[in-house]
Parts: sequence; C-alpha cells; structure tokens
Amino acid sequence: MNEALRNIKTRRVVREMSDQAVEREQIEAILEAARWAPSGGNLRPNRYVVIEDAETRRLLRLVAPGMFQRAPVLILICTNWQVVAQHHLPAHDRALLIDIGTAAQTMLLAAHALGLASGPVTSYSKEAVRIILNLPAHYSPEMFICIGHKAETARPGMRAWQPITWRDLTHWERFPERE
Amino acid sequence: MQSNWVLKEDEAIELLALLITSARIQMDEPAHYGPLRLLTAAERLSSLIEARSSQKAREFLEGNIERIPAMHMRMSDVDAYTEGLDALCRAVAACLLRHSSLEGEA
Ligand SMILES: Cc1cc2nc3c(=O)[nH]c(=O)nc-3n(C[C@H](O)[C@H](O)[C@H](O)COP(=O)(O)O)c2cc1C
Repeated sequence: MNEALRNIKTRRVVREMSDQAVEREQIEAILEAARWAPSGGNLRPNRYVVIEDAETRRLLRLVAPGMFQRAPVLILICTNWQVVAQHHLPAHDRALLIDIGTAAQTMLLAAHALGLASGPVTSYSKEAVRIILNLPAHYSPEMFICIGHKAETARPGMRAWQPITWRDLTHWERFPERE
Repeated sequence: MQSNWVLKEDEAIELLALLITSARIQMDEPAHYGPLRLLTAAERLSSLIEARSSQKAREFLEGNIERIPAMHMRMSDVDAYTEGLDALCRAVAACLLRHSSLEGEA
C-alpha cells in the first residue's frame, strides 16, 4: 500500500504514553507539517503553544478530564482572534473550526509518520487552561495535541459505535427525486 | 475501621480540580460522558488512596477500579457499559457492608 495511505489508516489515538522524551527536531517537524495544513482563505488564524515543562503539563492535565495520557509534549492549538478581526471574519465562521481540524489531523499524521504516539484532547476547561498558561487575551485554547511514545502496556482505543466502512459514509452522485 | 487518615491537601485539590472542570465541560458534551468523568474521578481517587488503604479497601480497589479504563473503551456498547456500572455498584455496596457494623468491624 502507498506509504501515505498506510500512515493515515494505521494512526490511532494513544491514551497511554511512556516517559520517553520527544526530540526537539521531531516537535519542530510536526509544527512545520501544521504550517502546510490547508487554511480557509489562507488566513492562518491558528497559533501553536508548545508545553514541555513537567509542572505546567501536570497542572494542565488536572484541568483536562479528557486528557488520559501523560504526554511529554503538549501542543495547544489556539485561534488568534487578532487575525480574525484583521480580516473581518465573523467569530462564528466555521472556517475557524475547520482550520483547527486540518492542523490537528496534519500534526497527528506527522507524529505517526515519525513513529510517535499522539492524541487530540478538547475536554478541558478553557478558562482554567487560559489561567495556567497565562494566555494572551486574543488567544483562545482550542485543542491539545498530546505527543509522546506509546506505553508498552497501552490498551486499545475506544471501540466504534458500530462497524463502519467508507461505503457507509458515502453517497455517489445526485440523490433520487423524492416522491 | 481506620478513620483518621485523609488525602494530602495537594491530592485533594487535584481531585477537586478534576470534579470542577468535569462539571464545566459536561455543559458542552454529550450526556453519556457524565459517567466517564465520574469514573475518571473515582479512578483518580482510588490511585491516591491505594497506598494507604486497608487490606479490605485494597481488595475492592484492585479488583474493581482496575477494570474501569477497559470499560470506558467499550462505552459504545450501552448494555455492556450499564452492566459494568451495575457490577461496580454491587462491589461498592459489598465494600460498604464490609466497612460497616453490619458485617465488618462489629
Ligand atoms: C474534535 C475531537 C475531539 C476529541 N477530543 C478528545 C478528548 O478530549 N480526549 C480523548 O481521549 N480523545 C479525544 N478525541 C479522539 C477521538 O475519541 C478518537 O479520534 C476516536 O475515538 C477515534 O479513534 P482513532 O482516532 O484512534 O481512530 C477527539 C477527537 C476529535 C476529532
């Protein structure tokens, strides 16, 4: 199978990570990959905050009930609302959310391609994260990407609600007329 | 029954943080995430008290709380998840009895 497609198919969220550190070049490679993710209007409203400090990571995990992993590196995807305002984008423009998604998936795949484990986390208190990281007012914390190495003891991820193939998700061509 | 030990203050605050932030995120998340958050707090509490707990309590913690992470991963099977929760409730009730004057110390 094509290498890129294999990478896409074999990536799984990892919720148990070892203490093994992630190299600086690997983190930078993941951030560079995110720079090449598609962005609505090429506006690039995302900003990335990298957290390696152990105590900061510990505190963040305490306000993030959805963060099961103890990851050696956290990358927080933020929306920079100054960029949004500069381009007169309405705050509810869905492109902002889609940009977070394209960056997130690009980073997860980049991490996997580098042999690293990763997982996205959105279940946390934004206000608490804002305080712990002393985020500038015009940054909103949108999603953490946890990066590390899979623990040897790691269990398989969450089961699907039902078995699903791409065919279940796809409709070809025009829908038939309704009676 | 030993009743004179408490969590260290830092540990209790960690648990408070988890409970309070869980309450907030539950406003935005599907209702079925509620049990997940409560069980995550139960797991966290269990790991904080395990080292200092009595043999009786440790038997409960080791036998039951340990199963929680595997349960989460099968949340999509609602019947199995509910049964898993019922089994935990039965185990915790039995543990309460063992700690009470009905069966335990009396
Ligand atoms: C928008 C979004 C938010 C997510 N938030 C969390 C989270 O807070 N905690 C977590 O453990 N996983 C989170 N996930 C990961 C999903 O649970 C995971 O992608 C899904 O179960 C499928 O597993 P797979 O990616 O390994 O195929 C999130 C995924 C997305 C796309």
